[in-house]
Amino acid sequence: MSTAVADVKDYRGRVHNLSSRIMTDWMTQLKQAAASGSPSAYLMISGNCVEILRCFDILPVFPEINALQLAIRKKSLPYIIKAEEIGYASDNCAYVKADIGFTLSGGVGKDGNIPVPSMIVCNFVGCNVYIKWFEHCAAMFNCPLVMIDVPFVREGDRPCPGDVAYVMSQLYDLIHQCEELTGRKFDIDKLREIMRHSARAEEGWTRCKDLCKRRPAPFDAYFDSINMMGPINALRGTREAADFFDAAVLEYEEMVQRGEGVLPEEKFRIVTEGPPPYPYYRNFRSLFETWGAVAVQSTYSTVGGTWEFGFRHDPDRPLESIAEQMLVHNLCNRTLTERYAQIRRYVEEWDADALVIHSIKSCRLFSAGQGDMREYFTKELGVLTLMVESDLEDPRYYAEAQMKNRIDAFFEALQYKRIRGAAHAAAAKG
Amino acid sequence: MEYAAGIDVGSTQTKAVLLDASRAIVARALINTGANVKRAGQTALDTLLSQSGVAKEAVGFVVGTGYGRYKIEAGNAQVTEISCHARGAQLLFPGTRTVIDMGGQDTKAIKVGPEGDVLDFCMNDKCAAGTGRFLAGAAEVLGLSLDDIGEISLRGTQPIRLTSVCTVFVESDILGYVAQKRKMEDILAGVHQAIASRTIGLVRRVGMEAEFTFTGGVARNMGMVRALEAKLDVTLNVSPDAHFMGALGAALFALDHVLAGRSVVPAAADVPAEWVTG
Ligand code: SF4
Repeated sequence: MSTAVADVKDYRGRVHNLSSRIMTDWMTQLKQAAASGSPSAYLMISGNCVEILRCFDILPVFPEINALQLAIRKKSLPYIIKAEEIGYASDNCAYVKADIGFTLSGGVGKDGNIPVPSMIVCNFVGCNVYIKWFEHCAAMFNCPLVMIDVPFVREGDRPCPGDVAYVMSQLYDLIHQCEELTGRKFDIDKLREIMRHSARAEEGWTRCKDLCKRRPAPFDAYFDSINMMGPINALRGTREAADFFDAAVLEYEEMVQRGEGVLPEEKFRIVTEGPPPYPYYRNFRSLFETWGAVAVQSTYSTVGGTWEFGFRHDPDRPLESIAEQMLVHNLCNRTLTERYAQIRRYVEEWDADALVIHSIKSCRLFSAGQGDMREYFTKELGVLTLMVESDLEDPRYYAEAQMKNRIDAFFEALQYKRIRGAAHAAAAKG
Repeated sequence: MEYAAGIDVGSTQTKAVLLDASRAIVARALINTGANVKRAGQTALDTLLSQSGVAKEAVGFVVGTGYGRYKIEAGNAQVTEISCHARGAQLLFPGTRTVIDMGGQDTKAIKVGPEGDVLDFCMNDKCAAGTGRFLAGAAEVLGLSLDDIGEISLRGTQPIRLTSVCTVFVESDILGYVAQKRKMEDILAGVHQAIASRTIGLVRRVGMEAEFTFTGGVARNMGMVRALEAKLDVTLNVSPDAHFMGALGAALFALDHVLAGRSVVPAAADVPAEWVTG
């Protein structure tokens, strides 16, 4: 099988090249750390506290990114099967299985590309699979596990002060662990500096996303977003990431000025919910491109944080704002109705024609409730909604012909609706 | 006079319809798809021509639909069977608001607007559970013809309760009831009810709105018609052409194109030129 990554057409010139350059730099650091044993820590993407690790020069390692890279290179299946051989169930999260299988196959450590972590930080945010995943990792590597218990936000979009204080107290513990690991004293000014970089990157990311409100949208906020999710989630807090977003804003602003979109013609504007099927990323994307469909917003791009609604890391309230971000300013730690509200704003403010839900077979946690979501948007809001299903990591769940059939039928319906609307308007005019 | 053809290449059978400019059906063709999908499409088209005596050149446009739609060499455009069934059903039963299409490998519920436009649709999961394939499996285990099982099921008085409609387990499930000496008609009544129950789930998801039109190959099975009617508590529109509904819809889309080409002002529901991607 060919590697999808190499086959992917270079879409948006500078941004994509820049992204792959800074991400490659980070991966080189990972490889070097694997060989040298310099401090590194496992961390989750969702609402993470990477700034604290960065403050101690501890290199962050994201098993989720490792897993998705295996999938996009079409290498995930043997690792998934390996994990199933040791007892992981067939419906277990395939990210976990790919990562565990990869570790068992020697991918982590001196001879691999990923360092054995000096510490594992489980920022449990919404997904309880994280806990078991990282517990298993800690057992495999026999290294310290810091479990940060982030209470699920059951109501509204504001964290309650008690929850913020609770998470902050755990961040202090994390800081002590980092001091012990590195033998260095915590430097709050350094943290503030890092947070300034974070806030600048968040501002840039938000401006990029805002530019997708324009017609045509300068980039695909689902498929092209993954090039920006690396910098915002994994490299946040670095000057490079902040500079990257400044460059991205510049490029997209220029495109908007030239009236240039991501596709030769933007025919449909969609909002997407759910991660893409990474093993068939390219195929899946082209099923939408054929129809001139561009994602103008996506919930997946907010797994790390929902900055488009105004939240920024605050150098003046460093730990407090980190705690707030972990609690509410991310996709996963909130209720389904908050997710509805987020999507609704996307549809309205980004002026979308339809919603597409890609439901993930092996992620029961976030796929649960998507049937109701579909119903809410179609029946209550009258937003045409398509729900398709496969997996983000396991290629066995993807059936191209059926996927294509559903997507084609959906856009045929949208097209038809538009043509009829135009015909009726013409008839009314006489 | 100009004609338009629709060819529906399904997993088991290929159906084709030839329409004249007044939207009247002038010929139908039904053949087994077999292994050579390309040939099936061509044979179906040839059959239409020989049956009607219409010359090949008189057919202005051909639309392909069904899973084999991209393999039809004579096809000028492809439209999914979802749009086609909606369109065909609306022509034959203009009051249609919900289409239930049951074919060999999938079952769909389609919510339709007054102009045959698709408002929403739901289909069965990737596997073929609860579709025509399940009925075929049941017929095979019982040594009956697929064409007869519907009628037989109507005689059942104490239907068995099947818990699964999985096509892989159909054999062992049914043999279990045979071993218990349950009557053939009761087993078959249970089989039809089980599929109907599963279908209702799909229909509910798009919303239960009358009129209901039942299309696809399985619509020829009276047992299935009655089982669905009982579960839905409505009367279904079933046309003798139910099996050809996809091909008919495809032919209607093709005809739009023919008419547009003759610069007749296209109807509001006409096929957009953008679909004609070849
Ligand atoms: S959120 Fe879903 S995909 Fe992510 S770790 Fe949890 S179960 Fe896996």
